Amino acid sequence: MASEIVVDKLVKRFGHATAVDAISFSVDQRETVGLLGPNGAGKTTTMRILAGLSPADGGTVQLAGLDARTQGREVRRLLGVVTQQDGLDVEISVRENLTVYGYLCGLSRQASATRADAVLTFFGLEGRANDEVDALSGGMKRRLAIARAWMTRPRIIILDEPSTGLDPHSRARVWENLAELKAGGVTVLMSTHYMEEAAVLCDRVAIMDRGRILALGPPRALIAEHAGRGAIEIRCDEAQRDAVRAALTAIAVPWREMGAVFSLPDEGADLGPVATLAGVQVHHRPAHLEDVFLRLTGKELVDD
Amino acid sequence: MTEFRLRSVAGVVERHRVATVRTWKVALTWFLIEPAFVLVAMGSGVGQLVVEIPGHGPYSHFVTPGIIIGMVMFHALFDSAWGVFNRIQQGAFETQLTAPVTVTELAAGEALWGGIRGVISTLAIGGLAILLGWFPLSALPVTLLVSFVVGVQFGVVGLCSASASPSMSALTLVFTVMATPLFFFSGSFFPLEVLPDWVEPLAWIAPLTPGVHLARGLAEHSLDLSHALCALYLVAFTLLLFPVAARMLRARLVK
Repeated sequence: MASEIVVDKLVKRFGHATAVDAISFSVDQRETVGLLGPNGAGKTTTMRILAGLSPADGGTVQLAGLDARTQGREVRRLLGVVTQQDGLDVEISVRENLTVYGYLCGLSRQASATRADAVLTFFGLEGRANDEVDALSGGMKRRLAIARAWMTRPRIIILDEPSTGLDPHSRARVWENLAELKAGGVTVLMSTHYMEEAAVLCDRVAIMDRGRILALGPPRALIAEHAGRGAIEIRCDEAQRDAVRAALTAIAVPWREMGAVFSLPDEGADLGPVATLAGVQVHHRPAHLEDVFLRLTGKELVDD
Repeated sequence: MTEFRLRSVAGVVERHRVATVRTWKVALTWFLIEPAFVLVAMGSGVGQLVVEIPGHGPYSHFVTPGIIIGMVMFHALFDSAWGVFNRIQQGAFETQLTAPVTVTELAAGEALWGGIRGVISTLAIGGLAILLGWFPLSALPVTLLVSFVVGVQFGVVGLCSASASPSMSALTLVFTVMATPLFFFSGSFFPLEVLPDWVEPLAWIAPLTPGVHLARGLAEHSLDLSHALCALYLVAFTLLLFPVAARMLRARLVK
């Protein structure tokens, strides 16, 4: 299948810091690819370059066969972009955010108005059409931002952290809308630091850290390749945490800690010294993407 | 070099049209109520004490073109300095750039809106002044044109300020250090000749002065070479500053 997005040796520096370090990847037509990584991994910078909001320092980006550097306007005609800040205009109504954007993109006032009503209905916002943007919940604002990007029926959608900061219910609604768009045949590049989001929405996931792509593949394949033996979960009393940490350090395996639960990839290491500590339970569980990240980087994903 | 498209500029202006129509009740107070207080206080209040300005006639007639053009400046700055700064902070400008629109078109749309706001302002306050008998109807059409250019001029000034301001408090300097002094020292309220000799030339190069001088010349039906020079200065100032404003906005938005 033809590639809709081709990124080749893309480089971006801010002063002496290299935000994107010669990454290459491609996204097929109708495919959804997620960039997964902690803050500072280079996800947002990569997406801003693709959206034409940031000039690259090296490498090339092609979208639908167009060169992003020299054909920015043509590229943006095919793109729907949802930036991390929803970027909504708070001085105009919910519906006007859509109509004004549609008109800016070249639709006639009439066509933009008709399209806005259809899009509002699709995103379940028709009841809020004439409300102030600030009266919307965080989840609704997010959906409105995605709705705005969908005004021109773009071939490609670029989404920067579509559900960050949303409650589980709102997140599920955003995912539902995105799944519908995807079913409609649009190509999606998104960033996230939620493993679950990547696993639910993405056909393939690029695991990023410090401006590089460490691994790229379908979520299940990544798990099978990098954490195929599953993961170990260690539960202990608060009082035992230091002892568990000391034991794990001695065994020299990477782990992450959430509360008093330790999680580590099952690499066949002998956990005897931990298991024998008083009040400590050791379980084996199937691995997920978070374990892949830990395995590849030796650190936790969410670092903020 | 990407081509410049007027349709994109119209798209940027459309946002302001929609926002203004939406808030028309509040907009009415900006365009008419507040400037009416200034006009009546100066024309009727101060005009009672200062009966006549030598060579210019009644004070109310003298001060009206100054207030008309001063208000154009405030209107243009309000949207292009405050408005643009706020929308940069809220990410709304970034959103506009995700459309097939260039930074130059975005800047042009904002500057053009400054001109349109200037025209609306002059229609409102000029209309009131005509009813009061302080401004001749015959001078209105060309004064609208001057208002448009002054509006674009300060729209461009506002864009530079908004793009350069790191914070809201820095942006207030545009009003405290620039707009308010300009409003009072550009010949709006008294002839520049009364200023100390060393200040007068400075007042003549202040960017609001040419607009005020032109509007007054039109109102008094006495145009001479000085007005032609003012028109030239006004247009040159605006045309030269626009590319600077577009570059500053690009530096702020595209990193």
